[in-house]
Amino acid sequence: MSFIVGVILFVVVIGALDARLPWPSPRAERVWPKARDARGVQS
Amino acid sequence: MIAGHFGFAAMVKSREPQVPLWSLMLASQWMDVVFVPLFALGIERIVPTLSAGPHPGYGEGVIYADYTHSLVGALVIAASYGLVFAWRWGRRNGGVLAAVVFSHWVLDWLVHRSDMPIFPGNAGNLPRLGLGLWRFPVATASIELALAVLGTYLYWRAASKALRDAGEPTTKKATRLGALMLASALLTLGLNLIGM
Repeated sequence: MSFIVGVILFVVVIGALDARLPWPSPRAERVWPKARDARGVQS
Repeated sequence: MIAGHFGFAAMVKSREPQVPLWSLMLASQWMDVVFVPLFALGIERIVPTLSAGPHPGYGEGVIYADYTHSLVGALVIAASYGLVFAWRWGRRNGGVLAAVVFSHWVLDWLVHRSDMPIFPGNAGNLPRLGLGLWRFPVATASIELALAVLGTYLYWRAASKALRDAGEPTTKKATRLGALMLASALLTLGLNLIGM
């Protein structure tokens, strides 16, 4: 029961509330090389 | 151990703020999530220790999770979880999540009673691993509590910084979430301690 309660609280409830905070995007890492290429920066 | 894993995930969030918290929290329990259906099917099982009463309490079980909690099985589960998220969020974030999944095995290795095999299905009948800290429930619960408190503090600090950096007038949201996180950890640990 503690496992189920923990998963619901931490993954679902706290996870959903945390998603409303202004964290950096996890996708930025994928976007960044394309943006750099678009600016013509040599790697 | 349940609350301790969540505490560790919160610590990682403070260092890797771009990784969504829900994915870190899920990663910290993913090995147990995979364990649940195998347990229901009778493939993996929990046997009460000899000293346990009719209702085994906190850590009073020998856990034969021979696939999900074997060393090699844990590495495979961690890698597959990381790969799924790497496809969406990039290699680095996938690597972070895979490491958090595997941290479950490391923390369990500290507390389990030498019941964790190296290979899935205990192939080769090699010695099982686990330092057995569960023999000392007060010490184990204290470590879990420390992980939860430290994780909550580091998360609250990182969330407050994220709000300030975004120009938010207050950091009340971070404080409220930190309080909820700590209360959730205490509830989870409390239920675990009374054997529920």
